[in-house]
Amino acid sequence: MSDTVRRFPAWLKKRLPAREQMAPVLDALRDLHLCTVCQEARCPNIGECFARGTATFMILGRICTRHCTFCAVRGGRPEPVEAREPQRVAEAAERLALKHVVVTSVTRDDLPDGGSEQFARTIRAVHERCGASVEVLTPDFEGRAEDVDQVASAGPEVFNHNVETVPRLYREVRPQADYERSLALLRRVAERGIVAKSGLMLGLGEREEEVRGVLADLRAAGCRAVTMGQYLRPSTRHHPVVEFVPPGRFEQLRLEALGLGFEAVASAPFVRSSYMAGQLAREMLAVTPE
Amino acid sequence: MEHRFQLPDLGEDAPDKAEVSFWYVQEGEEVEEGQDLVEMITDKAAFTVPSPLKGAVKQILIQEGDIARVGQTMAVIEA
Repeated sequence: MSDTVRRFPAWLKKRLPAREQMAPVLDALRDLHLCTVCQEARCPNIGECFARGTATFMILGRICTRHCTFCAVRGGRPEPVEAREPQRVAEAAERLALKHVVVTSVTRDDLPDGGSEQFARTIRAVHERCGASVEVLTPDFEGRAEDVDQVASAGPEVFNHNVETVPRLYREVRPQADYERSLALLRRVAERGIVAKSGLMLGLGEREEEVRGVLADLRAAGCRAVTMGQYLRPSTRHHPVVEFVPPGRFEQLRLEALGLGFEAVASAPFVRSSYMAGQLAREMLAVTPE
Repeated sequence: MEHRFQLPDLGEDAPDKAEVSFWYVQEGEEVEEGQDLVEMITDKAAFTVPSPLKGAVKQILIQEGDIARVGQTMAVIEA
């Protein structure tokens, strides 16, 4: 806890639901030994989403092989891949009666396929068990097209990969990532006819014209959905919040993104890449050609 | 009946502590179920925590500016 956290503006305040409302999700996660990015990343929307009966499952363990300075997920020696994990995610989706399942992972640069097979198996398991639509939020697989294809071949309804910030800040925010590599992944997904989605955080020190540049790049890559939210520092060891972006500027960027041709845009201080993902997906899938 | 109002546990690796920003109520006051009880601050945001039941706030145990850990009793409410 630092002194700086006392200075949250009024719009960065959430209401925590009663624990009873969150119990079904918490119980399912505990019973099925699943983890969520909601908990690992200390998401401020966790109470709201859990009370609504939704969660973003995080597969392939709790330990990440990268060291992004914005992220609360721990680094270190990664855990073994669990063969039954896809079935457990599918079981949780069925138990919680989810219509849209969001699956993400830590980055697994230690695995030869980056975890793409586990993503593919999870997508198939959910489809087979409960018929829910699946949205994946993947790492960049170090740019390997065959891993992107392996995930895409399993037929996720939405393929999300976040660019996270503007290219100028990659060195300090995502030191092991590459902006062009991320755009190439999204282009490949879009070319396969899958809904491509991306997102970025604001408040890391980016300039507004740089954000506009990223939005244009994402549209040029074929992205159909984009999310923008306020960056919030998980602890004092992480990248500082350079600016609390006012809600009005998020709204202005939302309108600009729609003007660029994005079909679904979520842009507000508490938006995260999987926040209200089901609603965003419905907006896009409703206009997806047969 | 006394109810011990605790900082809720949101699962392993979720924030395990939060700072009391301020209490919306004082000792002796009546609260309704769902009424704002306390504002907490984590590193990422400020949270308003509602009262889980109707009753009278008998005792506030964690003062403003102090840190509460998950599961710790923050107040006693007499239902």
